Amino acid sequence: MKVKLWGTRGSIPAPGPETIRYGGNTSCVGVTLSDGSLLALDAGTGIRCLGLSQPDEPARLHILLTHLHLDHIQGLVFFAPAFRPQTEIVIWGPASPEASLRDRIARYISAPLSPVEVRELPCDVSFRHTPESEWEIGSARIRSASVSHRGPTLGYRIDDGDSSLAYIPDHEPALGADLDELEEDWISGFELARDASLLIHDGQYTDAEYPCHIGWGHSATSHALSFARRTGAERTVLFHHDPMHSDEQLDALGADARERWVELGGDPEAVELAAERTEYELPARAASATATA
Amino acid sequence: MDLGSCGANPGNSPLLGRRGTKVSFVTQRPLELILARNLMSALSTPAFLVDEGGLLVFYNEAAGLLLGKRFEELGTVGPQEWGSLFGPFDPEGQPIPYDELPLVTAVRAGRPAHAELTVRSTDGSNHDVEVSAFPILTPHGSQGAIAVFWPSLANGNGTGPA
Repeated sequence: MKVKLWGTRGSIPAPGPETIRYGGNTSCVGVTLSDGSLLALDAGTGIRCLGLSQPDEPARLHILLTHLHLDHIQGLVFFAPAFRPQTEIVIWGPASPEASLRDRIARYISAPLSPVEVRELPCDVSFRHTPESEWEIGSARIRSASVSHRGPTLGYRIDDGDSSLAYIPDHEPALGADLDELEEDWISGFELARDASLLIHDGQYTDAEYPCHIGWGHSATSHALSFARRTGAERTVLFHHDPMHSDEQLDALGADARERWVELGGDPEAVELAAERTEYELPARAASATATA
Repeated sequence: MDLGSCGANPGNSPLLGRRGTKVSFVTQRPLELILARNLMSALSTPAFLVDEGGLLVFYNEAAGLLLGKRFEELGTVGPQEWGSLFGPFDPEGQPIPYDELPLVTAVRAGRPAHAELTVRSTDGSNHDVEVSAFPILTPHGSQGAIAVFWPSLANGNGTGPA
Protein backbone atom coordinates (compact mmCIF):
# COMPACT_ATOMS: atom_id res chain seq x y z
CA MET A 1 0.00 0.00 0.00
CA LYS A 2 1.38 3.37 -1.01
CA VAL A 3 0.13 6.52 0.64
CA LYS A 4 0.70 10.00 -0.72
CA LEU A 5 -0.34 13.26 0.89
CA TRP A 6 -1.81 15.60 -1.72
CA GLY A 7 -3.40 18.09 0.64
CA THR A 8 -2.60 18.52 4.33
CA ARG A 9 -4.29 21.79 5.22
CA GLY A 10 -7.56 22.20 7.08
CA SER A 11 -10.43 24.63 6.79
CA ILE A 12 -9.38 26.62 3.72
CA PRO A 13 -6.53 26.52 1.19
CA ALA A 14 -3.54 28.46 2.40
CA PRO A 15 -1.15 28.88 -0.52
CA GLY A 16 1.79 31.22 -0.33
CA PRO A 17 5.47 31.45 0.40
CA GLU A 18 4.90 30.96 4.12
CA THR A 19 3.25 27.54 3.63
CA ILE A 20 5.32 26.15 0.81
CA ARG A 21 6.95 23.27 2.71
CA TYR A 22 3.92 21.78 4.44
CA GLY A 23 1.59 22.80 1.65
CA GLY A 24 -1.54 24.87 1.25
CA ASN A 25 -3.96 22.40 -0.33
CA THR A 26 -6.82 21.04 1.73
CA SER A 27 -7.33 17.43 2.72
CA CYS A 28 -6.62 14.69 0.23
CA VAL A 29 -4.62 11.49 0.58
CA GLY A 30 -4.00 9.11 -2.31
CA VAL A 31 -3.77 5.42 -1.53
CA THR A 32 -2.56 2.87 -4.07
CA LEU A 33 -3.42 -0.62 -2.87
CA SER A 34 -1.20 -3.63 -3.39
CA ASP A 35 -3.38 -4.76 -6.32
CA GLY A 36 -3.09 -1.34 -7.96
CA SER A 37 -6.52 -0.02 -6.99
CA LEU A 38 -6.58 3.71 -6.33
CA LEU A 39 -8.39 5.38 -3.45
CA ALA A 40 -8.62 9.06 -2.68
CA LEU A 41 -9.30 9.88 0.93
CA ASP A 42 -11.24 13.13 0.83
CA ALA A 43 -11.45 15.53 -2.06
CA GLY A 44 -10.08 18.82 -0.82
CA THR A 45 -8.11 20.95 -3.23
CA GLY A 46 -5.26 18.45 -3.06
CA ILE A 47 -7.25 16.05 -5.23
CA ARG A 48 -6.69 18.32 -8.22
CA CYS A 49 -3.02 17.37 -8.39
CA LEU A 50 -3.82 13.74 -7.64
CA GLY A 51 -6.06 13.79 -10.69
CA LEU A 52 -3.40 15.37 -12.83
CA SER A 53 -1.03 12.57 -11.86
CA GLN A 54 -3.35 9.93 -13.28
CA PRO A 55 -2.93 8.67 -16.85
CA ASP A 56 -5.66 9.47 -19.34
CA GLU A 57 -6.90 5.93 -19.76
CA PRO A 58 -9.88 3.87 -18.55
CA ALA A 59 -9.85 3.60 -14.81
CA ARG A 60 -12.00 2.86 -11.81
CA LEU A 61 -11.30 4.72 -8.63
CA HIS A 62 -12.90 5.31 -5.28
CA ILE A 63 -13.19 8.54 -3.34
CA LEU A 64 -13.82 8.03 0.37
CA LEU A 65 -15.16 11.19 1.96
CA THR A 66 -14.97 11.63 5.71
CA HIS A 67 -17.58 14.40 5.64
CA LEU A 68 -18.85 17.13 3.41
CA HIS A 69 -17.27 20.24 4.80
CA LEU A 70 -15.93 22.32 1.94
CA ASP A 71 -12.27 21.66 2.69
CA HIS A 72 -12.96 17.97 2.02
CA ILE A 73 -14.92 18.26 -1.24
CA GLN A 74 -13.79 21.47 -2.86
CA GLY A 75 -11.49 19.74 -5.33
CA LEU A 76 -14.16 17.48 -6.80
CA VAL A 77 -15.02 19.76 -9.71
CA PHE A 78 -11.35 20.16 -10.56
CA PHE A 79 -10.57 16.45 -10.53
CA ALA A 80 -9.48 15.67 -14.08
CA PRO A 81 -10.60 11.99 -14.13
CA ALA A 82 -14.17 13.17 -13.43
CA PHE A 83 -14.17 14.73 -16.89
CA ARG A 84 -13.15 11.55 -18.71
CA PRO A 85 -15.99 9.39 -20.02
CA GLN A 86 -13.90 6.25 -19.65
CA THR A 87 -13.48 6.77 -15.91
CA GLU A 88 -15.69 5.19 -13.28
CA ILE A 89 -15.72 6.96 -9.94
CA VAL A 90 -17.40 5.67 -6.80
CA ILE A 91 -17.85 8.28 -4.10
CA TRP A 92 -18.39 6.98 -0.58
CA GLY A 93 -19.52 9.18 2.28
CA PRO A 94 -21.53 9.42 5.47
CA ALA A 95 -25.27 8.96 5.44
CA SER A 96 -27.52 11.70 6.72
CA PRO A 97 -31.22 11.64 7.58
CA GLU A 98 -31.55 14.91 5.72
CA ALA A 99 -30.68 13.96 2.15
CA SER A 100 -28.78 11.44 0.07
CA LEU A 101 -25.04 11.72 -0.38
CA ARG A 102 -25.54 12.64 -4.03
CA ASP A 103 -27.98 15.41 -3.23
CA ARG A 104 -25.78 16.85 -0.53
CA ILE A 105 -22.73 16.90 -2.76
CA ALA A 106 -24.82 18.35 -5.56
CA ARG A 107 -25.40 21.43 -3.43
CA TYR A 108 -21.78 22.25 -4.12
CA ILE A 109 -21.53 20.87 -7.65
CA SER A 110 -24.34 23.05 -8.95
CA ALA A 111 -25.09 26.65 -9.83
CA PRO A 112 -24.23 29.17 -8.66
CA LEU A 113 -21.28 27.60 -6.84
CA SER A 114 -20.12 25.42 -9.72
CA PRO A 115 -20.07 25.78 -13.51
CA VAL A 116 -21.10 22.14 -13.89
CA GLU A 117 -23.81 19.98 -12.37
CA VAL A 118 -23.33 16.42 -11.13
CA ARG A 119 -25.43 15.11 -14.02
CA GLU A 120 -23.10 16.83 -16.46
CA LEU A 121 -19.95 15.10 -15.29
CA PRO A 122 -18.71 13.00 -18.21
CA CYS A 123 -17.42 10.18 -16.00
CA ASP A 124 -19.53 7.33 -14.70
CA VAL A 125 -20.04 8.52 -11.14
CA SER A 126 -22.01 6.83 -8.38
CA PHE A 127 -22.59 7.69 -4.75
CA ARG A 128 -22.73 5.22 -1.90
CA HIS A 129 -23.34 5.60 1.78
CA THR A 130 -20.57 3.90 3.69
CA PRO A 131 -21.84 0.68 5.25
CA GLU A 132 -21.76 -0.06 8.93
CA SER A 133 -19.83 -3.24 8.31
CA GLU A 134 -16.45 -3.84 6.72
CA TRP A 135 -16.33 -3.99 2.97
CA GLU A 136 -13.70 -4.64 0.33
CA ILE A 137 -12.19 -2.52 -2.37
CA GLY A 138 -9.55 -4.26 -4.44
CA SER A 139 -7.06 -5.93 -2.13
CA ALA A 140 -8.11 -3.93 0.93
CA ARG A 141 -10.66 -4.28 3.66
CA ILE A 142 -12.23 -0.93 4.48
CA ARG A 143 -13.86 -0.01 7.71
CA SER A 144 -15.47 3.29 8.66
CA ALA A 145 -16.91 4.65 11.87
CA SER A 146 -18.51 7.85 12.99
CA VAL A 147 -16.12 10.06 14.89
CA SER A 148 -16.40 13.15 17.03
CA HIS A 149 -16.58 16.19 14.78
CA ARG A 150 -19.27 18.64 13.76
CA GLY A 151 -21.92 16.97 11.63
CA PRO A 152 -21.93 13.40 10.29
CA THR A 153 -18.24 12.56 10.01
CA LEU A 154 -16.37 9.33 9.43
CA GLY A 155 -12.91 8.03 9.96
CA TYR A 156 -11.52 5.21 7.83
CA ARG A 157 -9.30 2.23 8.33
CA ILE A 158 -7.75 0.46 5.36
CA ASP A 159 -6.17 -2.94 5.85
CA ASP A 160 -4.14 -4.28 2.94
CA GLY A 161 -2.06 -7.36 3.68
CA ASP A 162 -0.36 -6.86 7.02
CA SER A 163 -0.43 -3.08 6.81
CA SER A 164 -3.09 -0.74 7.99
CA LEU A 165 -3.79 2.92 7.49
CA ALA A 166 -6.09 4.88 9.80
CA TYR A 167 -7.32 8.19 8.45
CA ILE A 168 -9.11 10.49 10.88
CA PRO A 169 -8.41 14.01 9.67
CA ASP A 170 -11.14 15.87 11.54
CA HIS A 171 -11.48 14.60 15.05
CA GLU A 172 -11.96 15.94 18.56
CA PRO A 173 -11.90 12.82 20.71
CA ALA A 174 -10.98 14.80 23.82
CA LEU A 175 -14.16 16.86 23.80
CA GLY A 176 -15.47 16.45 27.33
CA ALA A 177 -13.21 13.47 27.91
CA ASP A 178 -9.83 12.64 29.40
CA LEU A 179 -8.17 10.46 26.79
CA ASP A 180 -5.54 9.25 29.22
CA GLU A 181 -8.14 7.88 31.62
CA LEU A 182 -11.05 6.84 29.42
CA GLU A 183 -11.70 3.18 28.68
CA GLU A 184 -10.73 2.19 25.14
CA ASP A 185 -14.24 1.41 23.94
CA TRP A 186 -15.37 4.90 24.97
CA ILE A 187 -12.77 6.72 22.88
CA SER A 188 -14.08 8.02 19.59
CA GLY A 189 -12.30 6.39 16.66
CA PHE A 190 -10.33 3.97 18.81
CA GLU A 191 -11.01 0.80 16.83
CA LEU A 192 -10.12 2.49 13.57
CA ALA A 193 -6.66 3.36 14.80
CA ARG A 194 -5.88 0.41 17.03
CA ASP A 195 -2.33 -0.77 16.25
CA ALA A 196 -2.43 0.90 12.83
CA SER A 197 0.80 0.91 10.84
CA LEU A 198 0.18 4.55 9.99
CA LEU A 199 -2.23 6.95 11.66
CA ILE A 200 -3.08 10.19 9.89
CA HIS A 201 -4.82 12.27 12.51
CA ASP A 202 -6.11 15.74 13.16
CA GLY A 203 -3.52 17.95 14.84
CA GLN A 204 -4.87 21.35 13.94
CA TYR A 205 -4.21 23.30 17.11
CA THR A 206 -1.43 23.82 19.54
CA ASP A 207 -2.36 23.20 23.15
CA ALA A 208 -2.31 26.96 23.71
CA GLU A 209 -4.77 27.54 20.85
CA TYR A 210 -7.19 24.78 21.73
CA PRO A 211 -9.03 26.49 24.63
CA CYS A 212 -10.35 29.07 22.16
CA HIS A 213 -11.55 26.31 19.82
CA ILE A 214 -13.21 23.78 22.10
CA GLY A 215 -16.04 22.09 20.28
CA TRP A 216 -14.86 23.09 16.82
CA GLY A 217 -14.18 19.45 16.04
CA HIS A 218 -10.38 19.39 16.03
CA SER A 219 -7.54 18.22 18.23
CA ALA A 220 -4.75 19.89 20.10
CA THR A 221 -1.28 18.41 19.81
CA SER A 222 -1.48 16.67 23.17
CA HIS A 223 -4.87 15.15 22.32
CA ALA A 224 -3.59 13.72 19.06
CA LEU A 225 -0.58 12.24 20.84
CA SER A 226 -2.69 10.79 23.62
CA PHE A 227 -4.97 9.23 21.03
CA ALA A 228 -1.97 7.80 19.18
CA ARG A 229 -0.48 6.43 22.38
CA ARG A 230 -3.71 4.84 23.53
CA THR A 231 -4.45 3.25 20.17
CA GLY A 232 -0.92 1.93 19.71
CA ALA A 233 -0.41 3.39 16.23
CA GLU A 234 3.11 2.63 15.04
CA ARG A 235 3.59 5.92 13.29
CA THR A 236 1.54 9.11 13.55
CA VAL A 237 1.22 11.92 11.05
CA LEU A 238 -0.37 15.10 12.37
CA PHE A 239 -2.65 16.42 9.66
CA HIS A 240 -5.22 19.12 8.85
CA HIS A 241 -2.95 22.03 9.61
CA ASP A 242 -4.54 25.26 10.64
CA PRO A 243 -4.48 27.74 7.72
CA MET A 244 -2.99 30.33 10.06
CA HIS A 245 0.07 28.20 10.73
CA SER A 246 3.13 29.05 8.68
CA ASP A 247 5.92 26.62 7.93
CA GLU A 248 7.93 28.09 10.78
CA GLN A 249 5.07 27.67 13.21
CA LEU A 250 4.53 24.12 12.04
CA ASP A 251 8.23 23.39 12.50
CA ALA A 252 7.83 24.49 16.11
CA LEU A 253 4.64 22.48 16.51
CA GLY A 254 6.38 19.40 15.13
CA ALA A 255 9.34 19.82 17.45
CA ASP A 256 6.99 20.19 20.38
CA ALA A 257 5.09 17.07 19.33
CA ARG A 258 8.25 15.00 19.08
CA GLU A 259 9.44 16.26 22.45
CA ARG A 260 6.14 15.33 24.06
CA TRP A 261 6.23 11.94 22.37
CA VAL A 262 9.68 11.28 23.79
CA GLU A 263 8.42 12.30 27.23
CA LEU A 264 5.72 9.67 26.80
CA GLY A 265 8.45 7.14 26.09
CA GLY A 266 8.12 7.03 22.32
CA ASP A 267 10.48 7.25 19.40
CA PRO A 268 10.68 10.82 18.06
CA GLU A 269 10.87 9.45 14.52
CA ALA A 270 7.42 7.94 14.94
CA VAL A 271 5.63 11.30 15.02
CA GLU A 272 5.74 13.89 12.28
CA LEU A 273 3.75 16.62 10.65
CA ALA A 274 2.04 16.01 7.34
CA ALA A 275 3.79 17.66 4.42
CA GLU A 276 2.29 17.79 0.95
CA ARG A 277 3.66 15.23 -1.54
CA THR A 278 5.17 13.04 1.17
CA GLU A 279 4.85 9.37 0.31
CA TYR A 280 4.72 6.38 2.63
CA GLU A 281 5.13 2.80 1.59
CA LEU A 282 3.42 0.24 3.80
CA PRO A 283 4.53 -3.27 2.89
CA ALA A 284 2.04 -6.05 2.34
CA ARG A 285 4.09 -8.08 4.80
CA ALA A 286 4.93 -6.48 8.13
CA ALA A 287 8.56 -5.44 8.07
CA SER A 288 9.76 -2.00 7.29
CA ALA A 289 8.40 0.90 5.36
CA THR A 290 9.71 4.16 4.15
CA ALA A 291 8.65 7.74 3.83
CA THR A 292 9.96 10.02 1.17
CA ALA A 293 9.31 13.67 0.65
CA MET B 1 12.81 6.77 7.47
CA ASP B 2 11.87 3.40 8.76
CA LEU B 3 8.20 2.95 9.41
CA GLY B 4 8.18 -0.47 10.85
CA SER B 5 10.22 -0.01 13.98
CA CYS B 6 8.40 -1.92 16.67
CA GLY B 7 8.09 -0.27 20.03
CA ALA B 8 8.09 3.21 18.60
CA ASN B 9 4.83 3.89 20.29
CA PRO B 10 4.89 4.19 24.07
CA GLY B 11 1.43 2.71 24.10
CA ASN B 12 2.96 -0.49 22.88
CA SER B 13 5.22 -0.94 25.85
CA PRO B 14 5.11 -4.31 27.57
CA LEU B 15 3.40 -2.66 30.52
CA LEU B 16 0.44 -1.76 28.40
CA GLY B 17 0.61 -5.07 26.64
CA ARG B 18 -0.82 -4.25 23.24
CA ARG B 19 2.20 -5.09 21.12
CA GLY B 20 1.79 -8.32 19.29
CA THR B 21 -1.94 -8.59 19.71
CA LYS B 22 -3.74 -9.21 16.47
CA VAL B 23 -6.14 -6.49 15.53
CA SER B 24 -9.62 -7.59 16.36
CA PHE B 25 -12.54 -5.26 16.31
CA VAL B 26 -14.09 -5.48 19.72
CA THR B 27 -17.25 -3.59 20.35
CA GLN B 28 -16.70 0.11 19.97
CA ARG B 29 -19.38 2.21 21.59
CA PRO B 30 -21.50 4.10 19.10
CA LEU B 31 -20.40 7.70 18.77
CA GLU B 32 -23.78 8.90 20.02
CA LEU B 33 -23.24 7.05 23.30
CA ILE B 34 -19.71 8.39 23.58
CA LEU B 35 -20.89 11.96 23.11
CA ALA B 36 -23.80 11.41 25.51
CA ARG B 37 -21.42 10.12 28.18
CA ASN B 38 -19.09 13.07 27.64
CA LEU B 39 -21.99 15.48 28.07
CA MET B 40 -23.34 13.67 31.12
CA SER B 41 -19.92 13.73 32.72
CA ALA B 42 -20.08 17.51 32.71
CA LEU B 43 -23.57 17.76 34.26
CA SER B 44 -24.45 18.21 37.90
CA THR B 45 -27.83 16.58 37.30
CA PRO B 46 -27.94 12.82 37.98
CA ALA B 47 -28.03 11.10 34.61
CA PHE B 48 -27.94 7.49 33.47
CA LEU B 49 -27.05 5.95 30.14
CA VAL B 50 -28.12 2.56 28.82
CA ASP B 51 -27.16 0.90 25.56
CA GLU B 52 -29.51 -0.49 22.95
CA GLY B 53 -29.87 -3.70 24.93
CA GLY B 54 -30.87 -1.93 28.13
CA LEU B 55 -27.52 -2.44 29.80
CA LEU B 56 -26.58 0.36 32.17
CA VAL B 57 -23.28 1.52 30.70
CA PHE B 58 -22.69 4.77 32.57
CA TYR B 59 -23.96 7.17 35.19
CA ASN B 60 -22.36 10.43 36.18
CA GLU B 61 -20.90 11.65 39.45
CA ALA B 62 -24.14 13.34 40.48
CA ALA B 63 -25.97 10.04 40.08
CA GLY B 64 -23.22 8.34 42.03
CA LEU B 65 -23.77 10.71 44.92
CA LEU B 66 -27.49 9.99 44.82
CA LEU B 67 -26.96 6.24 44.82
CA GLY B 68 -24.02 6.23 47.20
CA LYS B 69 -21.78 4.43 44.77
CA ARG B 70 -19.66 5.75 41.94
CA PHE B 71 -20.06 4.16 38.53
CA GLU B 72 -16.40 3.22 38.54
CA GLU B 73 -17.08 1.13 41.67
CA LEU B 74 -20.13 -0.55 40.22
CA GLY B 75 -19.28 -0.97 36.55
CA THR B 76 -21.61 -1.99 33.79
CA VAL B 77 -24.63 -3.87 35.13
CA GLY B 78 -27.70 -5.49 33.69
CA PRO B 79 -31.20 -4.37 34.52
CA GLN B 80 -31.91 -7.11 37.05
CA GLU B 81 -28.83 -6.34 39.09
CA TRP B 82 -29.57 -2.66 38.84
CA GLY B 83 -33.04 -3.25 40.23
CA SER B 84 -31.83 -5.32 43.14
CA LEU B 85 -29.29 -2.70 44.10
CA PHE B 86 -31.28 0.50 43.95
CA GLY B 87 -34.98 -0.35 43.56
CA PRO B 88 -36.68 1.55 42.22
CA PHE B 89 -40.03 1.66 43.98
CA ASP B 90 -43.30 3.32 43.20
CA PRO B 91 -44.87 5.95 45.53
CA GLU B 92 -46.52 3.09 47.47
CA GLY B 93 -43.20 1.43 48.05
CA GLN B 94 -43.75 -1.44 45.62
CA PRO B 95 -40.93 -2.47 43.30
CA ILE B 96 -41.49 -1.18 39.80
CA PRO B 97 -41.35 -3.96 37.22
CA TYR B 98 -38.42 -3.68 34.92
CA ASP B 99 -40.64 -3.38 31.86
CA GLU B 100 -42.29 -0.27 33.29
CA LEU B 101 -39.17 1.73 33.97
CA PRO B 102 -38.89 4.91 31.91
CA LEU B 103 -35.49 3.92 30.58
CA VAL B 104 -36.84 0.61 29.35
CA THR B 105 -39.75 2.32 27.65
CA ALA B 106 -37.35 4.73 26.00
CA VAL B 107 -35.14 1.93 24.69
CA ARG B 108 -37.81 -0.54 23.68
CA ALA B 109 -40.49 1.75 22.33
CA GLY B 110 -38.27 4.54 21.14
CA ARG B 111 -40.45 6.96 23.05
CA PRO B 112 -39.77 9.42 25.86
CA ALA B 113 -41.12 8.43 29.24
CA HIS B 114 -41.55 10.08 32.61
CA ALA B 115 -42.27 8.72 36.07
CA GLU B 116 -42.06 9.42 39.76
CA LEU B 117 -40.21 6.82 41.71
CA THR B 118 -38.00 6.16 44.69
CA VAL B 119 -34.47 4.91 44.53
CA ARG B 120 -32.58 3.41 47.42
CA SER B 121 -29.05 4.51 48.14
CA THR B 122 -26.40 2.11 49.34
CA ASP B 123 -26.67 3.63 52.83
CA GLY B 124 -30.32 2.56 52.93
CA SER B 125 -31.83 5.99 52.48
CA ASN B 126 -34.60 6.53 49.96
CA HIS B 127 -34.76 9.35 47.46
CA ASP B 128 -37.95 10.43 45.73
CA VAL B 129 -37.22 11.55 42.21
CA GLU B 130 -38.86 12.28 38.92
CA VAL B 131 -37.28 10.56 35.96
CA SER B 132 -37.33 11.69 32.38
CA ALA B 133 -35.97 9.24 29.85
CA PHE B 134 -35.58 9.64 26.13
CA PRO B 135 -34.21 7.39 23.42
CA ILE B 136 -31.03 8.02 21.45
CA LEU B 137 -32.13 7.58 17.86
CA THR B 138 -29.64 7.70 15.01
CA PRO B 139 -29.73 7.03 11.26
CA HIS B 140 -28.71 3.50 12.21
CA GLY B 141 -31.55 2.99 14.66
CA SER B 142 -31.79 3.15 18.43
CA GLN B 143 -28.47 3.24 20.23
CA GLY B 144 -29.78 3.42 23.79
CA ALA B 145 -31.39 5.92 26.09
CA ILE B 146 -30.65 8.61 28.65
CA ALA B 147 -32.49 9.12 31.92
CA VAL B 148 -32.21 12.26 33.99
CA PHE B 149 -33.31 12.35 37.62
CA TRP B 150 -34.92 15.41 39.14
CA PRO B 151 -35.86 15.97 42.76
CA SER B 152 -39.49 15.08 43.27
CA LEU B 153 -41.70 18.04 44.04
CA ALA B 154 -44.80 15.96 44.68
CA ASN B 155 -44.25 15.35 48.38
CA GLY B 156 -41.60 17.93 49.04
CA ASN B 157 -38.99 15.52 50.33
CA GLY B 158 -37.08 14.79 47.22
CA THR B 159 -33.35 14.81 47.07
CA GLY B 160 -32.04 17.34 44.66
CA PRO B 161 -29.23 16.95 42.22
CA ALA B 162 -25.85 17.02 43.81
